[in-house]
Amino acid sequence: MMSDSMRLRIHHRTEYSYSSPVRDSVNEVRLRPAESRWQACEASFVTVLPACRISHYQDLNFNTVHHFEIARPHQKLVIDSRSTVMTREKVDFEKLPYGFLHKDLAKCQRLGECHPFLQDSTYVERTPEVWRLALDIQHDTDSEDVFETSYAIMEHIFRNYTYRAGATTVSTHANEVIANKTGVCQDFAHAMVAICRSIGIPARYVSGYFFDATRDHSLRGSEASHAWVEVYIDGSGWIGLDPTNNKVVDATYIVLATGRDYREVAPVIGSYFGAALSSLNVTVRVERLPDGPAASK
Amino acid sequence: MFEHYQKEDFFDEMFASDKGDAFDFYQPLKDRFGRLSPEEIAEKQRRVDHGFLEQGVTFTVYGEDSGTERIFPFDMIPRIIPDREWQTIEQGLTQRIIALNLFLHDIYHDERIIKDGVIPEDVVKSALHYRPEMVGVDVAKDIYIHICGSDLIRDGEGKYLVLEDNGRCPSGVSYLLENREMMKRAFPGVYRQSGVRPVDSYPELLLKTLQHLSPRSGMTPVCVLLTPGVYNSAYFEHTFLARKMGIEIVEGRDLIVIDGFVYMRTTLGLVQVDVIYRRLDDDFLDPRVFREDSTLGVPGLMEAYLRGNVSLANAVGTGVADDKVTYAYVPDMIRYYLDQDPILENVPTYLAWRDEDKSYILDNLENLVVKAANESGGYGMLMGPASTEEERSEFADRIRENPRNYIAQPVVSLSRHPTLCEDFAIEGRHVDLRPFVLYGEDIEIIPGGLTRVALKKGSLIVNSSQGGGSKDTWVLFQ
Repeated sequence: MMSDSMRLRIHHRTEYSYSSPVRDSVNEVRLRPAESRWQACEASFVTVLPACRISHYQDLNFNTVHHFEIARPHQKLVIDSRSTVMTREKVDFEKLPYGFLHKDLAKCQRLGECHPFLQDSTYVERTPEVWRLALDIQHDTDSEDVFETSYAIMEHIFRNYTYRAGATTVSTHANEVIANKTGVCQDFAHAMVAICRSIGIPARYVSGYFFDATRDHSLRGSEASHAWVEVYIDGSGWIGLDPTNNKVVDATYIVLATGRDYREVAPVIGSYFGAALSSLNVTVRVERLPDGPAASK
Repeated sequence: MFEHYQKEDFFDEMFASDKGDAFDFYQPLKDRFGRLSPEEIAEKQRRVDHGFLEQGVTFTVYGEDSGTERIFPFDMIPRIIPDREWQTIEQGLTQRIIALNLFLHDIYHDERIIKDGVIPEDVVKSALHYRPEMVGVDVAKDIYIHICGSDLIRDGEGKYLVLEDNGRCPSGVSYLLENREMMKRAFPGVYRQSGVRPVDSYPELLLKTLQHLSPRSGMTPVCVLLTPGVYNSAYFEHTFLARKMGIEIVEGRDLIVIDGFVYMRTTLGLVQVDVIYRRLDDDFLDPRVFREDSTLGVPGLMEAYLRGNVSLANAVGTGVADDKVTYAYVPDMIRYYLDQDPILENVPTYLAWRDEDKSYILDNLENLVVKAANESGGYGMLMGPASTEEERSEFADRIRENPRNYIAQPVVSLSRHPTLCEDFAIEGRHVDLRPFVLYGEDIEIIPGGLTRVALKKGSLIVNSSQGGGSKDTWVLFQ
């Protein structure tokens, strides 16, 4: 049994080592949990070693971006993000958001909130092949309902795709993922976004974490940052679906950033002059804390 | 018991006004104490004091002739911190220890914060405890302050302020743990009903923090606690923590450095040591590097440390952060390294090192608290309003002579808490709070901290060496 709210503590550490000193490193990170009605970020500390000045701003998708530069030669770069987040159940699992029909999707085209998430983007393209695949899935479930179809698309990916690290890279395109049916959470999310958009369902890419509350920690992607999809359901807003774990997103999920695809939400993006990266080490730990006062209501 | 309680003009931890209306989170406790007769209280107090004596929970006062070993006076009325307040404290202290650690890493490496003009170079380098030996040294896991005991006070409005950070060898956690044991025995009922967050995981968390630093992997690290010895004021605490963690307590002479590795002499021969929880100041660690006259340290220890063969908690050189001039810059550090506003504010601080502040301090000595930048435990301090003309002119001379070493702060009328006084009357006494922060793989703060109380009527000085006592501190679940 999951309670409808959770206090979670996250420690996300990204450690780069270079074989020889590098310089002029410029970086942008999206590591501060988002604020919404369903998620309150009680505390968040993003820090960098070598110690330097850090500054932050909001991007066009309202994600918080931390920016820093390290000009001096360095052989190691460590980015730590520690946060405490209170999450709430966004979806009433007794009453899933059915009732928004395909025939009404056209109105999303005119919503500013949805428009960017109906177009092609860097890693996502609405090709005729993807469109036919989407129609097949919709046809197989005999669905008139947007949530039902979205759910079926998620299930299709979960059942037919192979989860395998190393088969793809951070810049693998959704078309390739759909062709090879193999990848990790990022790829599954891109594929689902593409399939949804091809039939006019507004879909966006979400990066974040989740707390694996299963007894045997059987869910995929809890050891690193995770990615999933949100689809727009009129009357309910953006509803999260996780094709990697075949789950409707609940209070165990923590949203870091949302965007059209990975490119807009990448947790860490940067450039530097110097030697090739010799190792990258990412660890994510999410643990549950005793509930705070907000849970007492 | 509380009928005659006077809140007066102070912020009171328990009562919102003089009419006796306790904050709701204090209500069960107030009811419980309200039902006690003075005789019952006297009886409980007797038992508690006896308990402390039996446990040997004592401390030492320096510079006094009569019997230096004392029981730390314990007040039975606990201090309660509601969860929402605690969350702010927890986040504020987390933010602070992160910033302090980044600062220490920075000043011993690239000095970005100095080059960017946020903190003047001479402030950092003239700090008594700045260690040039540490420049360019990479300490284990890049953590400097593993154990921090910041002192918090509350002003007239109840706002929490940081009074100082203790990033060298903060003490007091054993009293916190023992106070809790005594309270559980003296008031089992109200303790259970109140939903108090436990503190007994501290030794385990401390051990984890130490083990995290081990230079050797693939085995259980050998951690030891290095004590200056039985004459140290906190010796009880050293033995207590070593026992609770199940690690050896050693003195300098029990350790030996061979080929850059540290070994402990045991009855079964030498055992290599990975992590030293040292309760010894930098100055005494290694007579070859620091004070030659130190007989407490271990010759060659610094070499082993700099070679990364042994880890020290806290790291060498953290004393810069304890300097009261550095303290004044912590809010700037937080803005610089985190791009955030401080969650917990500092007490406003004047630095005699700045000329304009110096003349203000000298003109207002009778209204200010003057502190030496590198003293602790309530030593080297002038309480302006309670001072004599003579004391003030003495301090004025000292400030003119060495302005870098003095700071001044307005007198903050610390919050008060109902406290058992003479003949078991309950009166308001000033309190502070020292939470203990552990920085290992995670940053952990055990709920609450040590509440110190100035037992002398009207006194604002809570230090145990100056007639202070302590209370149990309860953070409630909700």
